[in-house]
Amino acid sequence: MSGQGLTGLSPWSRRLVAAGVLAWCLITVFPLYWVVVTAFKTPPGVVGGPTYIPFVDFTPTLQPFIDLYQGIRGEFFRTFLNSTIVGLSAAAIATAIGAMAAYALVRFEFKVRLGAGLAFFLLALGGYLLFNTTFAFTRPQALLLAFPIALIVAVIANRLPLPGPILGNEDILFWFVSQRMFPPIVTAFALYLLYSEIGRLGFQLIDSFVGLTLCYVAFSLPIVVWLMRDFFEAIPIEVEEAAMVDNVPSWRIFIGIVVPMSMNGLLATFMITLAFVWNEFLFALFLTNSRWQTLPILVAGQNSQRGDEWWAISAAALVAIVPMMIMAGLLSRMMRSGLLLGAIK
Amino acid sequence: MMRNDPIKHVFIWPAVLVVLAISIFPLIYSLTTSFLSYRLIPPIPPRVVWLGNYGTLLQEPRFWNALFTTTLIALIAVGLQYAIGFGVALALNARVPGERLFRVALLLPMLLAPVAVALVARMMFNPTMGPLNQFLSQFGLVNLPFLTNGHWALGCIIAVEVWQWTPFVILMMLAGLQTLPEDVYEAAELENASAWQQFWGITFPMMLPISAAVVFIRLIESYKIMDTVFVMTGGGPGVDTETLTLFAYQEGFKKFNLGYTSALSFLFLIAITIIGVTYLALLRPHLEKRR
Repeated sequence: MSGQGLTGLSPWSRRLVAAGVLAWCLITVFPLYWVVVTAFKTPPGVVGGPTYIPFVDFTPTLQPFIDLYQGIRGEFFRTFLNSTIVGLSAAAIATAIGAMAAYALVRFEFKVRLGAGLAFFLLALGGYLLFNTTFAFTRPQALLLAFPIALIVAVIANRLPLPGPILGNEDILFWFVSQRMFPPIVTAFALYLLYSEIGRLGFQLIDSFVGLTLCYVAFSLPIVVWLMRDFFEAIPIEVEEAAMVDNVPSWRIFIGIVVPMSMNGLLATFMITLAFVWNEFLFALFLTNSRWQTLPILVAGQNSQRGDEWWAISAAALVAIVPMMIMAGLLSRMMRSGLLLGAIK
Repeated sequence: MMRNDPIKHVFIWPAVLVVLAISIFPLIYSLTTSFLSYRLIPPIPPRVVWLGNYGTLLQEPRFWNALFTTTLIALIAVGLQYAIGFGVALALNARVPGERLFRVALLLPMLLAPVAVALVARMMFNPTMGPLNQFLSQFGLVNLPFLTNGHWALGCIIAVEVWQWTPFVILMMLAGLQTLPEDVYEAAELENASAWQQFWGITFPMMLPISAAVVFIRLIESYKIMDTVFVMTGGGPGVDTETLTLFAYQEGFKKFNLGYTSALSFLFLIAITIIGVTYLALLRPHLEKRR
């Protein structure tokens, strides 16, 4: 991989290009530097106008972080824990079941009749309307009844020789990935209503660990399946075939051979998912209100509550940013080893 | 080689079930609600109005304003991201000096919480105490209305979007550039093609498929923009920077106008689908020609 495209350039234009990249780099880094520096300022150090260099322009202090830890500006410590717990568990679950699905899509053949898929959707919709309007069930009850019925009928219908096209693995993958195209507001709002109605039946999902994690797992799955499929496709099949000759069952091939061989890919996917969940705002805004609030909500709240208290805002933003900065370092190391290459092509 | 083993169902069903449950439920739910006149506050029993909500929405100037604002932000921001991102990726691929150091720094913004980034942006764009104001003061531009004037605010939001998501374009384009075959360039060298000719004759056409994918992903993601606007301007001044998601949030979560919000969500979904399909249809002839 040599320098393509720029080889014909004179040394002078090479310098110009380097200057351009350096300029973009400065634009990228300056706001980050600014937030780090501001988080260590005292109130007078902020109000007096912009200052840039610690110990020269102003005397750094740890006060903003002590305030944060003591909970003066909201329950930061607990919120940080919430974000960590929800992020880690959602990313772990999503990576696990997403990797399983991706492996199945790479190595096994699936056939879904379009007719069965349509039957599922129409039955779920019709069943919901029927149970809700005619039999006077509540909406979540109607949904919970219609869903398994539609699913079972669809699975049976899939075995019948229905007319219409047959969808294969590529189409299933497309279905997974296309879930990502959905405007999340459509789902967030409906999910909020659904969760609160289920809550009225006695099972609390709003502002709960299960509700939030479930929703994040579902929304990370498209990316996980998409990324992991490429990692699995890159694994040579000969090893698996050798194991199959020895009659090793498929699940042991997966856990014993495939997972260890794609550990890097799993790790990268896990970290990307974790970053996605950690930063997510809209679902957390709808689905939590106090106990399971996550960092982005609390950080966004600093704005309206605190006006121009920049030292506090910066410290709060920094708490949300630093874990991801560490991850960026780890990921870029993986990127350099060409690991993410396969995920993109 | 494809195997056939009943265990495949154990592998695929957990993921399918979770995605089905969390995506089909709300879809059916909001589709049916969008045909109702249904409010929580004040509580009115649901009444079927069929396409009434859609009709009201299509006559609502605020909806068209939100659609226009979102489209403007998405198109300009993605255009800039692509131009800058492709440029930087080309430079990094050509091994500019200090390229290794740049890579870590350049990856950072896309991993940070948009909410935190927007808070930092508010500080940067502060008209009296911000560093940008101090910088521009030296050119005689003092106290510019960064977030209080509609046009300026839109510009600032676009700037933040470009800042945060250009790294994604850089990452993808760089990965694409590294897969290009070298012999084509060697042949071009022999023909004495200039760097400019090499770019338009070889690099750009060969990068077209991945470019199309990157722009598509960014375009769809940009249409969902909410966090950045929510924190930076809250949609203001007035409704000058209100995006579709923010509009839906205001209607649904502040006014609890359920039927109306569901209809809005569906129009949004339809708009995104139309944009996606048009984009792919426009690009298809170019992509197939290059195969």
